[in-house]
Amino acid sequence: MENKYTRLKWLALIIIAGMLLFLAQVATAANLRSPHLLQQEVSGKVIDHNGIAIPGVTVTLKGSSRGTLTNLDGDYSIIASENAILVFSFIGYKSHEEQVSNQAVINVQLEEDIATLGEVQINAGYYNTTRKESTGNISRVTAEEIELQPVVSPLQALQGRMAGVEITSGGANPGAASTIRIRGINSLRTEGNYPLYIIDGVPISAVPVETNSLLGNSGLDPLNNLNPSNIKSIEVLKDADATAIYGSRGANGVVLITTKIGAQAGTGLEIRTYTGISSVPKKLDLLRTAEYLAIRKTAFENDGVEPTQRNAYDLVLWDPERYTNWQEYAFGGNAEVTNANLTFSGGNDKTSFRLGGSWFSQGTVYPGDYQYHKITGNMSLNHFSEDGKFKITASLNYGIDRNEITGDLKLSRLNLLPPNAPALLNPNGTLNWSEWAEAGLANPLEGYFNSNDIGTNNLITSTSISYEMLPGFEIKSGFGYTRYDSNELWRLPSRSYNPAGNPVNRSAHLSSVRKSWIIEPQLSYHTNIGKIEVNSILGATFQENNSSRQSLQGSNYASEALIGNLAAAQDILNAKSSNIQYKYAAVFARIGMNWDKKYYLNLTGRRDGSSRFGPNNRFANFGAIGTAWIFSEEDFFNNVFPFISLGKLRASYGSTGNDQIGDYGYLDAYEATRGPGGLYPTSLANPDYSWEVNKKMEVGLDLAFWKNRMNVGLSWYRNRSSNQLVGYPLPAITGFGSVQANLPATVENRGFELEFNSINFNNKNFRWQTSFNISLPENELLSYPGIEQSSYANTYREGEPLNISLNYDYTGIDSETGYYSFTDVNGDDRLDFQDRTIVEDRTREFFGGLNNNFSYRGFSLQFLWEFVKQNGKLIYYNAGRAQNILSNYSSDDYQTPTQSYQGNLAFSNAINSSRFIEDGSFVRLKTLTVSYDIPGKFLQTIGIQKFNMFLHGQNLWTITSYGGMDPENSYDGNFIGNLRTVTAGAQINF
Amino acid sequence: MKINRIIIQTFILLLLSFNFSCEDQVSIDAPTDKLVRTEVFSNDQTAISAMNGIYNELYQADFSSGSRSSVTVLAGLSSDNVQYFNSVNLNMMEFQDHEIAPTNPGNLDLWSSAYNIIYLCNSFIEGLTNSTSIDVELQQQLEGEARFVRAFTYFYLVNLYDKVPLILNTDYRVNALKPQVEKEEIYTQIENDLQFSSEILNTSYRNSEKTSVNKFVAKAFLARVYLFLGEWQETERLSTEVIQETASYEILENLDDVFLANSREAIWQISPIGGGGIASNTNDGSMFVIDPFFSFFSTLKLDESLVAEFNENDLRREKWIGYNASLNAYFSHKYKISASSQFPIQEYSMVLRLAEQYLIRAEARLKMDKTQEAVEDLDVIRKRANLPLVAEINPTISGEALLKEIYTQRREELFTEWGHRWFDLKRNGYIDTIFNNSPTWEITDGFYPIPSEEISKNPNLIQNDGY
Repeated sequence: MENKYTRLKWLALIIIAGMLLFLAQVATAANLRSPHLLQQEVSGKVIDHNGIAIPGVTVTLKGSSRGTLTNLDGDYSIIASENAILVFSFIGYKSHEEQVSNQAVINVQLEEDIATLGEVQINAGYYNTTRKESTGNISRVTAEEIELQPVVSPLQALQGRMAGVEITSGGANPGAASTIRIRGINSLRTEGNYPLYIIDGVPISAVPVETNSLLGNSGLDPLNNLNPSNIKSIEVLKDADATAIYGSRGANGVVLITTKIGAQAGTGLEIRTYTGISSVPKKLDLLRTAEYLAIRKTAFENDGVEPTQRNAYDLVLWDPERYTNWQEYAFGGNAEVTNANLTFSGGNDKTSFRLGGSWFSQGTVYPGDYQYHKITGNMSLNHFSEDGKFKITASLNYGIDRNEITGDLKLSRLNLLPPNAPALLNPNGTLNWSEWAEAGLANPLEGYFNSNDIGTNNLITSTSISYEMLPGFEIKSGFGYTRYDSNELWRLPSRSYNPAGNPVNRSAHLSSVRKSWIIEPQLSYHTNIGKIEVNSILGATFQENNSSRQSLQGSNYASEALIGNLAAAQDILNAKSSNIQYKYAAVFARIGMNWDKKYYLNLTGRRDGSSRFGPNNRFANFGAIGTAWIFSEEDFFNNVFPFISLGKLRASYGSTGNDQIGDYGYLDAYEATRGPGGLYPTSLANPDYSWEVNKKMEVGLDLAFWKNRMNVGLSWYRNRSSNQLVGYPLPAITGFGSVQANLPATVENRGFELEFNSINFNNKNFRWQTSFNISLPENELLSYPGIEQSSYANTYREGEPLNISLNYDYTGIDSETGYYSFTDVNGDDRLDFQDRTIVEDRTREFFGGLNNNFSYRGFSLQFLWEFVKQNGKLIYYNAGRAQNILSNYSSDDYQTPTQSYQGNLAFSNAINSSRFIEDGSFVRLKTLTVSYDIPGKFLQTIGIQKFNMFLHGQNLWTITSYGGMDPENSYDGNFIGNLRTVTAGAQINF
Repeated sequence: MKINRIIIQTFILLLLSFNFSCEDQVSIDAPTDKLVRTEVFSNDQTAISAMNGIYNELYQADFSSGSRSSVTVLAGLSSDNVQYFNSVNLNMMEFQDHEIAPTNPGNLDLWSSAYNIIYLCNSFIEGLTNSTSIDVELQQQLEGEARFVRAFTYFYLVNLYDKVPLILNTDYRVNALKPQVEKEEIYTQIENDLQFSSEILNTSYRNSEKTSVNKFVAKAFLARVYLFLGEWQETERLSTEVIQETASYEILENLDDVFLANSREAIWQISPIGGGGIASNTNDGSMFVIDPFFSFFSTLKLDESLVAEFNENDLRREKWIGYNASLNAYFSHKYKISASSQFPIQEYSMVLRLAEQYLIRAEARLKMDKTQEAVEDLDVIRKRANLPLVAEINPTISGEALLKEIYTQRREELFTEWGHRWFDLKRNGYIDTIFNNSPTWEITDGFYPIPSEEISKNPNLIQNDGY
């Protein structure tokens, strides 16, 4: 152990010594000046092939580091000597050189260069790479694809856009956390499958924030307070080559979010706003009153039971003519969504800034006045020193949101009420108890007047300072601080509850804070030795997270108006508080080498120390090797296939870890007993407790054709996650039935991913671009020693995927009883887990997206189709019970209508069988945007650079045979997943 | 340029000011809702809290809780005192029929909860003995209390299962493979622990309630252990010491007062406060008392043979046995409160009480041929029950008849308390005679099976005979 610390200490000392050593040289180097020559001012305008001005073009003097940028009008001016050569360069265009001679004005038209599109910088976390040179697998989504989507969390905008990234919506309520899985489920523990989020270099906890509200199942998305419009790009790192540098945190993939930075030319103001409406796109097709009551009657006839007020209130007591569409009632509303963005950016070639603010609000589809509001502010500053060696960037993102949502947790589940059920509310607006009580029922809308008020604040700041001490040698340090807090008040007024029970006014309070800081000093070195190019980084990370939570309940408020004011509560109950500290330190290194831009080798490694690991296991090493061969650079290949502009074969292998193992798990600690004044140990302590290891292997082929007009990337991966942290079964004589321990259980994720991009048409007026991605994932629990005695015995099976359900063997409808029947496998005359031998795979078979972009002059049309192949289940066929069923029920295909106990038992067993499995696949028009740029000439006269109007649709159309509400959640047909939203808006640049 | 230099210097200073020791970088404090074990035993107050935690958990642990899988209920069902009348729950039926499957979940709960309490005691004793900062006197006192609870738990394990593993530390790596040891070895440990406790402990209750263990609790229980071991002299000596402590204990005239919290008859009780929440009364009450309105929740009734055995003038028959007409069932009414939410707490779950000490001493004295004194002790119990005194109606009672009478009184006095009857039947060998008529009875049914789950996890455990 001691040895490990010393090694790390030495490394740190070397870094410091290195810095000190170069300090003197830095000082002198900084004072160097180039000698004065005969100078003249040159100015001009840079335009593109359409004659439109290009702002931000770099204009440099060849052979020097001096240069400038064009402003928003494409104009530049620079002091240059007569014999100087000006170099005009801009991403996506061929660079252009021009001799100054005696010209005072040099206007330039740049030619578009499709080939350089492959040179777009990709953020790989600690370094940048390009699609051409990357040895790893990184998917990228840029601002254009995200910014117009009316979503709360930017993650939701990624659906269907990236291969290997599976995102499912957390529900229709604004703020609910989506689930994101990068290349499948790696950990046996559901809470161990979050990817690592990094925003501008600062890690953010991906664990959804706890809430008591309607969003309780999914939690609050920790990225809610980020403004999707302020995101420049989102990169997802997938394979070992890309993720190993994140060590014990990279197992589930890394999501890098980069926010926008200021323009390097002139000043500009951008305003964008949109407004629109959301609604539930599809509801269940349920029976109407007459059909429903007919089935109920049949059920009683079949069972030979006399309908009474007690067992058949819907037949005997309630109006047989009445009909209420409960779905319409509960979530038939329209939710308004509004967004406004204001950005001010500017700068020159040395300094640039960006200041922005946004407002977002979204209603809910439920009755009542509930709203989600969000205000965000962001600031970014970039500065280069005169000589370009010193660089500082700082960014700040701050967001406040307030989520007022209904506190009635059952509202979305009203839809199966009998269609002739009495009104839920009295004409005077109070809850109707009497009519429901006659039937012996509580009003299903109990809790209706409850409301939840969640406020969160999120601050993310990051600063990075770098200095190039010698050519190619740079020191750098990143600093970050984040703070997230949420406060929640759940009001439970007494009028929400049956007065017969003497309810009191209550409140539930929950607040939590997450704070973190991080410092990452780094040294990077770039050099060329003959044909060998070397890029290396050596760095360290110091990080600390603190989180705390407090919860309590207030009860017996004198009046409803006082709810939430704890001083007015007669009793304060269940007060709880806890805090968690997490510290993390690491050193990491990367050496990327290539020979003649043909053969690439990338070595990355990290040594992690984490407070989450047991004292015997505090430090861990992770590393990866990535290689690539750009065979299209070989002459023999080029001669045969000249149309292939890029051919690259790449492979990587390495290990990453998963430290989502809970804090303090190793601690031999006592907690408070339920009874007052006592302390006791609640579990066995395991000091050897450590991270889960994910060994990733990948082979990929990247091809580009016809000067990169078409790009294809194909990859195959196999990730094996082992050392799984599970409850290891122990005999009870040890005091407890299990201990949290790392077990050599192994989960494998493997599959193919294909990404395809092409520019089908590209001329002066018309451009058509297509991108397509598809993922074919497979998941398997390779081994789990001792699974039979573990708590996972009835959850997982060796040799099967993790996402399974264990089912009874359905044998059809028993002709005698008319009920569903199943095989009693072990013949013990009862159906229990031992008879659930049929494994049902719930993993997606494949999924992906197809995006098209058309632009013609000022018009553009973009649409994304998302497709998923999977199974689903729809169970609302329990005919004969006092709840509504789907209208395609027929007694030939389903169990005979019955209200008997046996019938119900057979039905609930059928849920755990293959009976209700159906196809849950779907193709969805995820986004559709039509926009128009009003021609510039007229606008410029009134000072407007650009005026764009757009119409955007989200989840407009879904093609599926699945009968549930949203096939995305194909195992819960009654779940409101994605809302259909249509918005219209405009963007104006001044 | 100067600015650059300043920035770089600050940058380096910042790095230097950083403590680069990685140990520091990744070592953290314990969270506020947890206390590391060494911390718990670093001061008197938290050490006391940890002992209180054990008392609290005795109410939560199945075997001592008085609820479904407690010794009181399960051993009660196995004896001829209690019957289960709701045939849905086969698990409890199996105890009554002496056909316990090794997979019986109730049996597993009984076993596991006892070993969980033993773990709490072992963890406590380890923490305490490793501590250097606790007041020495308090340290001894607390160790005495924890060792008592451990011995108490082992007593039930050994009597329910015969040979069991003897676990005295918290190292699960070793303990997971511990084999069973002979009964004598367990008893030696019980004796050691109890002797330590009875010497070291104070005569007063630490928290002024009868829920903590004092010297007399240890002595009273040790008296019972010696009775079971046939050490008559020691039994008599210890029970006498308890009986003479009249400042704390007396036989209450009113039978309705016996099971109240901190009653004068109680030697040791478990408080339902251990269940947390606002307040609740005993599990014993909610298990046994048949509520006239919610009788459908009830599952247990008294065996007719027990009810029939009572003399019609016996006050215990009147005060401690209830009758529900709709179910035609007699039920134990020692605890009066069944609805557990009724508060404040009035009744505690009784573990040791003075009446048992008289019966213990009577038996020991009889075995030492002190018949006269044995009768005196027995008559203390009979008198309170409003029964004629043996000394008056049968002064020349034979030893054999007296022994039988003592066992009868034990049955009538101690029914539905901690499986007394089941152990008595095994102790005096009546068990075969009593259950001989039962078609499911086998000689090996006196001990419960080792839970099969335990055997599959620990290959060194051997199943008891007959399972």
